[in-house]
Amino acid sequence: MTVEAKEPVLQMRHISKRFDTTQALDDVSLDLYPGEIHALMGENGAGKSTLIKIMTGVYHPDDGEILLDGKPIRVANSVDAQAYGIAAIYQEPMVYPDLNVAENIFVSHRSQGALVNWRKMYEEAENILSKLDVRLDVRMPARGLTLAAQQTIEIAKAISLNVRVLIMDEPTASLSAHEAEQLFKLARSLRRQGVSILYISHRMEEVFEIADRVTVFRDGKRISSLPREEVTKERAIREMVGRKIEDFFAKTKERRGELLMSVRDLSKANVFSGINFDVYRGEVLGFAGLIGSRRTDVGLALFGVEPADEGEIILHGKAQKIRSPERALRLGIAYITEDRRQIGLTMPMSISSNISLPVLRMYLSRFGLIQTREEDATANQYKERLSIRAPSIHHPVGLLSGGNQQKVMLSKWLNTKPQLLIFDEPTRGIDVAAKAEVHQIINELAAQGLGLILISSDMPEVLAMSDRILVMREGRQMGIFSRKEATQETILAAAMGQNSGAIEKA
Amino acid sequence: MQRRLEWLRGWEGILLVLLFGIIVFNSSMTPHYLQVQNQINLFQLHIEKIIIALIMTFIIINAEIDISVASVMALAGCVMGFLYEKGLSFELCVLAGLLTGLLTGAFNGFMVAYARMSSLIVTLSGLIGYRGLAHVLLENRSVGNFPEWFDRLGQRPLIGPFPFALIVFFVLLIIALIILQWSGAGRYVFVIGNNSEVARYSGVNVRRVKMILFILSGLISAFAGLLLAARLGSIRGDTAIGTELEVITMVLLGGVSIFGGTGSLYGVLLSILIVLNLRNGMGLLNVPGENQTGVIGALLILSVLGPNIVQGIREAWSRRTIQRRTVSEEKKGG
Amino acid sequence: MDTLKRYFRPEQLRELSLIVLIVFIFLFFGSQIEGYFSPRIFNRVTNDVAIIAVVALGQTLVLLTRNYDLSVGSIVGLTAFFIGKQLTVYAGMPPILALLLSIAAGACLGLVNGLLVAYGRIPSIIVTLGTLAIYRAILVAYPGNKMVLINDLPQWISDLGSKQLFSIGEFGIRPVVAGAFVMFILFQLATSYLRFGRQLYAIGSNPEAARIGGLPSQRIVFSAFVLCGAIAGLAGFLYLVRFGNLNTAAAQGIELDSIAAAVVGGVSTNGGKGTVMGTLLGALMINLLQQSLLRWLVISNFWVEALLGLLILIAVLIDSVIINRLSTLWNQRRLEMQTEGETKTTKEKESHAA
Repeated sequence: MTVEAKEPVLQMRHISKRFDTTQALDDVSLDLYPGEIHALMGENGAGKSTLIKIMTGVYHPDDGEILLDGKPIRVANSVDAQAYGIAAIYQEPMVYPDLNVAENIFVSHRSQGALVNWRKMYEEAENILSKLDVRLDVRMPARGLTLAAQQTIEIAKAISLNVRVLIMDEPTASLSAHEAEQLFKLARSLRRQGVSILYISHRMEEVFEIADRVTVFRDGKRISSLPREEVTKERAIREMVGRKIEDFFAKTKERRGELLMSVRDLSKANVFSGINFDVYRGEVLGFAGLIGSRRTDVGLALFGVEPADEGEIILHGKAQKIRSPERALRLGIAYITEDRRQIGLTMPMSISSNISLPVLRMYLSRFGLIQTREEDATANQYKERLSIRAPSIHHPVGLLSGGNQQKVMLSKWLNTKPQLLIFDEPTRGIDVAAKAEVHQIINELAAQGLGLILISSDMPEVLAMSDRILVMREGRQMGIFSRKEATQETILAAAMGQNSGAIEKA
Repeated sequence: MQRRLEWLRGWEGILLVLLFGIIVFNSSMTPHYLQVQNQINLFQLHIEKIIIALIMTFIIINAEIDISVASVMALAGCVMGFLYEKGLSFELCVLAGLLTGLLTGAFNGFMVAYARMSSLIVTLSGLIGYRGLAHVLLENRSVGNFPEWFDRLGQRPLIGPFPFALIVFFVLLIIALIILQWSGAGRYVFVIGNNSEVARYSGVNVRRVKMILFILSGLISAFAGLLLAARLGSIRGDTAIGTELEVITMVLLGGVSIFGGTGSLYGVLLSILIVLNLRNGMGLLNVPGENQTGVIGALLILSVLGPNIVQGIREAWSRRTIQRRTVSEEKKGG
Repeated sequence: MDTLKRYFRPEQLRELSLIVLIVFIFLFFGSQIEGYFSPRIFNRVTNDVAIIAVVALGQTLVLLTRNYDLSVGSIVGLTAFFIGKQLTVYAGMPPILALLLSIAAGACLGLVNGLLVAYGRIPSIIVTLGTLAIYRAILVAYPGNKMVLINDLPQWISDLGSKQLFSIGEFGIRPVVAGAFVMFILFQLATSYLRFGRQLYAIGSNPEAARIGGLPSQRIVFSAFVLCGAIAGLAGFLYLVRFGNLNTAAAQGIELDSIAAAVVGGVSTNGGKGTVMGTLLGALMINLLQQSLLRWLVISNFWVEALLGLLILIAVLIDSVIINRLSTLWNQRRLEMQTEGETKTTKEKESHAA
């Protein structure tokens, strides 16, 4: 798409921002043009979210200025941002669950009178939605809607406020493939209407499909801004990481041991059905599929958090009923969640307290008192083994970096001496170096004779790390591929439930 | 030593200073203030409340609340009184009273842990419902004339100058301290209070812990109700109205967060001492009971307001510094 | 089925079921109790409900924002006592002034709550627990003897309490009742059609989103508490009119009654859900049940309180069950819509590929 000579609508000039000891942004400049989708890429900590927060008035820059239509502006808070036509939608949409769709769209409008005209509100809401070519009942409360629908509400909200610059921060992270496609349609429609879109994503495929220009950040600095045609995947990665990166650690040669667990006809009403597979010691069984395929739910069923309704899980020769995590742990199953913050770690507590938690009873004296010396010894062992970087094991986990938190989580579960370890998106949201470390650990664990299930939406990762790959789609099992048969195309095709054609690449 | 000093700067440090000031003031008013007998009297007046405060600490740290405690006190006492009136042997009556606490606690616990209802609402219905049942049993009557050993236990010293209830309080205090700060169960209480989902995913049996806490709360409240009956020599349906608020105030004043996950019994102990001595001091000044409660209410508010104000000032200060810098930059940019 | 879901939102279903229940209770006890449909009982119920309902109205506004006001009992008591004392001394004060003074006093008390919760950032449970004690202490500390006597009050107070405004057949509507009813209509309209009213719901529904989305959260929560206090002050005036004789324990415990009425009426303690009219129905149902049980000879009077506790529990259980059922229904609908959309896209793509 040729870009005519246009004036940029928003310009960030020499923006810098410092937090205590970290320079989050260092002399960053960025121009956003109307009717263009500008992708922003970079690792975690590269400064992307800081920039967004400055644009939306949550933070204020230490240095530099922001120009709107060439004139300097101050975005002091979210109200200002709204007034200037700057809006952001995030991975987690923020809707009011008890208000209906129309009200959600208009509730934060500041320029309205004291009275609410419901009929007009419904009409205008329907207008906006039809312009976006979306079918939603505007009278429905937002509570029951899917994430994708809620995101649509956010976009509708932005449009109703005459948005000029729309920031989309990892919007497809929780969407199914179909929903993501819908989102792209919306983005293109907005582009046609002259909105400037800043699109942040970790996913290369998405960026290459939808962006007009690509900017790469690293360590708080802008590395490059180029039209999409001039960008290649290798170059982008190189710029994001700053060094040439080898491919993922390929899985070391398979040394399959005895049968560890068999799953037969596992089903949970309205969630998944007919899941059948075996896991062997020393093997990595990958779970591939698009987001929404319910792989996590199978993992949760195996771990007893959300038990299945029907089917059998056979461990140690007998069928086991796993109805609680406690039970799963006793059977030697451990599950490492993808969501560190919400359910993975107790943030205010120390590293050692977090590590010992699942097996706390092992550290209790006869009277039930905690033996802190043993606890600390264990924690120190893992700190060394996994190179966790922290001042001490008494340091609160909440203050660690993402990668280190992941390691604490890993230590916590390794400490339960599991036989079967389920990894759910272990490398999501952590930087490339830490990713490689995790893969190395997975290899070591397999070599030690554990059985591993690797749930991952990162196709290359699944392909490189798995001995066999189970593909799921919308709760159903589409097939199990051996390492030889598995290619990106075959897996993707199975994940989408089709045997040819509709591969979602531009 | 470093850590010891830091601790003083925190919440408990402030409480300690406050307590010190109150005791000094009170001592200046009455010469025999710090004598053992006077202090014992201090505790005895409110002994049931402070016993319940111990279990309430656990419950609030666990991110729940139990406002039915006073009604359970009354109900347990009324069950005992009712059966005693009917001629049942007194020991069985006492047992029945305790059983009442167990049952109400189990009911509360079931509703919260298994039916997943909000503990505020469940214990609110309990507050009303259990008190109602107490009234059903004793209507407008009061029952007294308990066996001599019962009254003696409630009103006379047991070991040295210390009455039974006070001894129980100290024993429970030590047990509670050990459990909360040093035991695995205590850690579970904290973790669940901080984030019950993390606890669940980590294999902690959240439901069981909550159930046990509520059963203990019911049991201890029932016990406290019986202690009160012994101390007063009689029981009626209206006993201990409003006690729940005082108990909760003591716990919150002690630095336990209403949101759960943080707090310590040391703070609650200090807060108990503060409340007791404050009340005593005000009583010496002939301040009426409701006004004393008012002062304690004010103290409760200040206890949270103070840190918030300090934080607000810090934030405003840093915001102003940034604004000044941005303004001077704009000026430079011209 | 779609149109049903469209127009009958869950809250309205809730209110409908309350009305049905009230009618049922009415008819049931009417068949059991002699002289049930008499003016005397009507008066008793309406006058009792009027005060509690008004307090519950203010409480509802606060509950919607995901807060609690436990101090309303002390506010009602304090304002009633205060006005009573003033009228004892200044018997010539015009009634309307007394009313306004009462509201203003309540508003001031609510203002303190609002400041501490909204700007002091202290959880509302803690603040109102404290002010519950503080306001009651002020009441007790009020100079003079600790009572207000009906004989010392101007005549119009007892007139207001006993004379009828108008009558429907045999049933007289007293000014207090009519006033309360009008207030409810007004506030129901306000919470449906005033932007401020809708913002109350928004804040309770998702406080984070409200803050980030630029809603003046602090100001709104502050206003909710001021309003609640003012309304409680009004209720204090009504209380004085109704009872005439007051002591320092006036209106103690009314805060729990107000929360109970709201909860039974469908207001969620988590904010964002429930209606003003629902609260009125909740208060009505509770009181009707109480009065009916009192006169029902089958069980002793003392069961009323215990059953009330059970009633609250059942009301909330029903709410959570309904919520669960509804969300399953929504989820199923969502799945249907999604598969619908999927099949459409697949068909499109296939045709393209061909």
